[in-house]
Amino acid sequence: MSESKIAKLHEMLVSKEISCKELTKQYIDAIEKDNEALNAYVTATPETALETAGKVDEKIAKGENIGLLEGIPMTLKDNISTDGIKTTCCSKILEDYVPIYDATVWNILKNQNAVLLGKTNMDEFAMGSSCETSYFGGAKNPHNVNHVAGGSSGGVASAVGGNLAVYGLGSDTGGSIRQPASFCGIVGLKPTYGAVSRYGLIAYASSFDQIGPITTSVEDTAIVFDAVSQYDEKDSTSQGRKGEPVTATLKNDIKGMKIGIAREYLDGVRDDVKEAIDKAAAVYQSLGAEIVYFDLPALKYALPVYYILACAEASSNLGRYDGIRYGYKADSYFDVNDMIKKTRSNGFGDEVKKRILLGTYVLSSGYYDAYYKKAQNLRGTIVNAFQNAFNVCDVILAPTVPMTAFENGHAVSDPIETYLTDICTVPVNIAGLPGVSVPCGYNSKGMPIGMQLIGNTFGEAKILNAAWQYENAADIFKPTDFGVQL
Amino acid sequence: MKYEMVAGFETHVELATNTKIFCSCTTQFGGEPNTHCCPVCIGLPGTLPKLNKKVVEYAIKAGLATNCEIAEISKMDRKNYCYPDLPKAYQISQFDMPLCEHGYVELSNGRKIRLTRIHIEEDAGKLVHSRGNTLVDYNRGGVPLIEIVSEPDIRTIDEAREYVEKLQLIMRYIGVSDCKMQEGSMRCDVNISVRPVGSETLGTRTEIKNMNSINFIAKAMEYEFNRQVDLIESGEKVVQETLRYDDVTNTTSSMRGKEDANDYRYFRDPDLVTINVPRERVEEIKATLPELPAAKLKRYVEELGLPEADAQLLTKYRRIAEYYEEAIQGTKNPKTAANFIIGQIFRHVENEAEKEAFNINVSAENLNALIKLIDSGKIRMNLAKSTLDKMLETGKKPSELLSESDMAGLDENTLNDLCRQAVKSNPNAVNDYKNGKEKAIKSLVGFVMKNSRGKADALTAESKIKELIK
Amino acid sequence: MVSKEEIMKIAILSKLFVGEDEIDGLTEDMDKIIAFADTINNASDEGTDFDNINNLSNVLREDEVIPSYDREKILANAKDSDDGCFLVKNIMK
Repeated sequence: MSESKIAKLHEMLVSKEISCKELTKQYIDAIEKDNEALNAYVTATPETALETAGKVDEKIAKGENIGLLEGIPMTLKDNISTDGIKTTCCSKILEDYVPIYDATVWNILKNQNAVLLGKTNMDEFAMGSSCETSYFGGAKNPHNVNHVAGGSSGGVASAVGGNLAVYGLGSDTGGSIRQPASFCGIVGLKPTYGAVSRYGLIAYASSFDQIGPITTSVEDTAIVFDAVSQYDEKDSTSQGRKGEPVTATLKNDIKGMKIGIAREYLDGVRDDVKEAIDKAAAVYQSLGAEIVYFDLPALKYALPVYYILACAEASSNLGRYDGIRYGYKADSYFDVNDMIKKTRSNGFGDEVKKRILLGTYVLSSGYYDAYYKKAQNLRGTIVNAFQNAFNVCDVILAPTVPMTAFENGHAVSDPIETYLTDICTVPVNIAGLPGVSVPCGYNSKGMPIGMQLIGNTFGEAKILNAAWQYENAADIFKPTDFGVQL
Repeated sequence: MKYEMVAGFETHVELATNTKIFCSCTTQFGGEPNTHCCPVCIGLPGTLPKLNKKVVEYAIKAGLATNCEIAEISKMDRKNYCYPDLPKAYQISQFDMPLCEHGYVELSNGRKIRLTRIHIEEDAGKLVHSRGNTLVDYNRGGVPLIEIVSEPDIRTIDEAREYVEKLQLIMRYIGVSDCKMQEGSMRCDVNISVRPVGSETLGTRTEIKNMNSINFIAKAMEYEFNRQVDLIESGEKVVQETLRYDDVTNTTSSMRGKEDANDYRYFRDPDLVTINVPRERVEEIKATLPELPAAKLKRYVEELGLPEADAQLLTKYRRIAEYYEEAIQGTKNPKTAANFIIGQIFRHVENEAEKEAFNINVSAENLNALIKLIDSGKIRMNLAKSTLDKMLETGKKPSELLSESDMAGLDENTLNDLCRQAVKSNPNAVNDYKNGKEKAIKSLVGFVMKNSRGKADALTAESKIKELIK
Repeated sequence: MVSKEEIMKIAILSKLFVGEDEIDGLTEDMDKIIAFADTINNASDEGTDFDNINNLSNVLREDEVIPSYDREKILANAKDSDDGCFLVKNIMK
C-alpha cells in the first residue's frame, strides 16, 4: 500500500526523528550516487537545498509549527522558471539561461520552505513522449534503466520513482505528466486548465499547458495539488482550485459512483494494458461503484487536432528565441537576420524544429482554414462530447498509455507512431479537463501499467477520491531500489 | 489626363496610460535605455500578458469620439513576425474582432472620412544602428497603441492634413493621447494610389510607412502622387510595395527585400481571455466624454457669436477652450475674453507644446474678474489691456494692480471738465479741426484719455468735444 | 503532398535554415505528419465554434505602475550588450 511520504516525513521532522538537513543530505547523496544511471536531474542545487533545510531545522528547534510541505525535498521540471537557477527546457538554445523571476508555483512552494534539490530532465521544450529529445540525453526508467522514463516530464518521474525526490512538479500539454508517471509506476495529476498558474512555465502550447504534481501516492498528489492550485493575478487564464481542499474528501466512500468507460479509449491498446484496465474496473465494482460503458466517437480526431493546435501555438511561442535577449547566440553571421536563423537552426533540436514547421504551416495563409480553423472547431466538438459523457458518469476510466515504457532509443523511428503513444492522454488537454494517472499493474517484464481517471472541469476532488480508493484496495505500487529508502 | 489621389491612413496613436498594455512598467517617454522593462515586456520565457483596463477604456473613448460602433465581444490576436524590436516575435494585436468599427471623421468641406476600425495593440521597442551594430532598447516595447484605420476616402493633400489634425485634436481632447508626432506618439502609414478623375476603380496602391510629421506626410504624398502619375503616363505600372519616405531627399524608396514576404499567421492569443463590453459600460464611458471640438466650434460661432477663425483658435486645445469657458462665466460679452486670449495671452504661448499645456500666469478666474470690471463700467478697455499685460507679468489679481480710484470709474462732471480743459489748452488743434482737419479731434480726445488715466470712454469724449467746439 | 518549396517557404517564415542534406528527409517527415493532420478533414462533423478554453472574460489589470527591473538584470542573460542596450554586432564574414 502506497502511503503518503510527505505525511510520514513531516511526522519524522516534527518528532525530530530526523533533522531536515540530514534528510536533505540523504537525498543529495542519493542524487550523487544514482543520477548517473537515471539521468533524472540536469541541474542539482545542493547548496540552496541545505540552506532551506537549515531554516526549517531552526524553526523546529524553536518549537514553531511547520507546514506539511515545509522541509520536504522536491524537484521541478526544467521548464519551470526559478530565479537565479538555470532553467534550460533541456534545449541548447537555453543551455545557460538563468531566469530573473520565479514561476508562481515555485514562489508558492519556496514560501513554504520546500527544499528544491534541483531541476529535472525533460524532452526539449516538452516536445516528446520519451524524454529522449532532451539536449542532455533522456532520463531512465527506475524500474529498468534500459527503458525510457517517458516524457516529456521524464526527469521528474524518474527522480520521484527512483526516490531522488519526494515529489516533483511537471507540466502536461498532451500527457507529459501522466505518461511518464504511468511508465514509472507512480501517480501524476494533470489539473483542470486554469487550476494552477502557468506564470513562469516556459510555454509549449499555451491553451494546453498545465503544471501538476508527480508523486508516489495519491495522497501526496492531493497534498501538493492543494498547495499549488491558487488563483494567480499574473495569469489571465488562472482560476485556482474551486471548492474545498481535495484532501478533505480524498478518502470518502465511492459507493454508487458512476465510472465510465469509453470504448474508443481501448482501441489499439495492448492486451496487457487492456487486461489491467478490466481488472481495475472489477476493483471499482467491488468497492460499490457502477461501471458505465459509452461511446466517445469524437476521440478519433483528438490526436491530429492536438498536434495541429499545439504546434500552431508552439510555432508562435518559440519565435522569441532569437539570441538577442537570452540563451544561445550563433557567433558568426552576416547580419541580424542571419544571426537569428543560425541561432535557431543550431539551438533547436530536430523534433522542436519539426513542430515549429508544422505549426507555421497550419497557420500560414492558404492552410489556416483547412487545418487550424477546422481543428479549433473539432476541439469544440470534443469539449461538448466530454460534457455529454459527464451526464452519464462521474469519472472516466481509461488507460494512460496504450503500452508500457519502450526501450531506450526505440521511440524516435516513425513520427506518427511516436505521436500515437499520446492518444489516450491528449483528449484531456484538448478539453481542459483534469486527469490523474495511477499505477494499475505490471506487464510480463515487470514494467508498470498506468490507468487514467478523468474528471469534469475542476473535478479534481472526485478523481483523486476515486484514485485513492483504488490505490488503497488494489495495492499496486512497488518501490524501486534507487535512491533514498525510508 | 487629369488624375486624382486616393489615400487611406493607418494611424498609430500611443495611449496616455500610466503603464504598458500588458505589464505594470511605466510608459514615460525617454528614460535610459531598457530601464522601463520587466520580464513580461522583454518577453522572457514563461511570462504572461495581463491586459490594462485603461487601454480598453481609452480605445472605446477614441471609438465613441470618432462615431464608431463599439464591439460587444472582442479578443486579442497574435501577429507573428520576427524582428529584433519585437521581443516575443509576435505583436499582440487585434485581427478580426477589433474593439471599434465603422466610424468617421468629418472634414470642414463636409466630406466624411470613414474609419474602418480602431484596434488596440502593443508598440515595439526601438532599434538604433550605430557603427554597423544594432542596439535594442525595449522601453517603448509594450506601450499601448490604438491603430485607427481609415477607408481610402482622402482625395487631396489638404484633406490629408486636416484629417490628421482632426484626429490629433480629438484624441487630445478626450485625453487618450498627447499625439506628439515628434516623440512618435502619433505615427502614420499612408496607402496611396492614383486614378483618372471620374474613374471609379482603384489603382494599384503603395504604402508609405511610419511618418511622424504632418509636413512630411504632405510632402511624401505629393511626391508619391507625382511618381505614380509619371509611371502611368509613361506606360509603366505601379508596383504594390511598402515605401519609406526620406525627408532629406524628399523621395520614397522601397523597404523590403523579397525574402521577407510577410505572412502574419494571425491567431487568437491563448494567454488572454475574451473582452466583453456590456452596453451599460459603453454608456458610462460615453458620459465621461467632454464636448468634442467640432461641437464646441459650432457652439462658439452660433451661440457665443465668435468669428469662426477665433472659435477655431480657441477650440484647438482642450485646455484653452476650458480656460475660455471659465473666463466668460457670468460676463456680458464673450468676444472680450476671446480677444484677450487670442490677442494678448497667445503672445506668451509660442509653440504647440506650450499651447497644449497652457500654463500661463493669469488664471481663468483672474481674467474673469478683469472682464467683470469692464462689464460694470468700472474700467475701460485701454486700462484693461494694460492691466492684463501686468497680470501676465506678475500673476497678480486685477484688484491688486488697480487702485481704488482706477476702479472708481469716471463720473459725468469730471468728464465734462476734462473736455473743457482739452479745448482750452489746445487752441491749435481746435483751429485745425474747425478748418476741416478731421484728424485733429484725435489729439483732443487723447488729452482727455491721458488726463483721465484711461478711464474715459473715447467715443463719449469725442462727441462731447465736438459739441463744445461747434 | 507537401513540396520542398513549401517546406522552404515555411522555414523562412519560421526563421530556420534547412540544409541541402536535410530537405529530403524533412519533406518526407512533414508530408507524413501533414497527411496525418489532414485526417481531420474527413470528419463529417463541421465542429463547433470554439476559441477560448476556459470561457473567461474581462480579466483586466489596474493601470498602476510597479517599478521596473534593474537594467543589470534585464541585460543579465544577453550574450552581448552595449550602452545599456541589447547588442547585435554586425559581423561581416
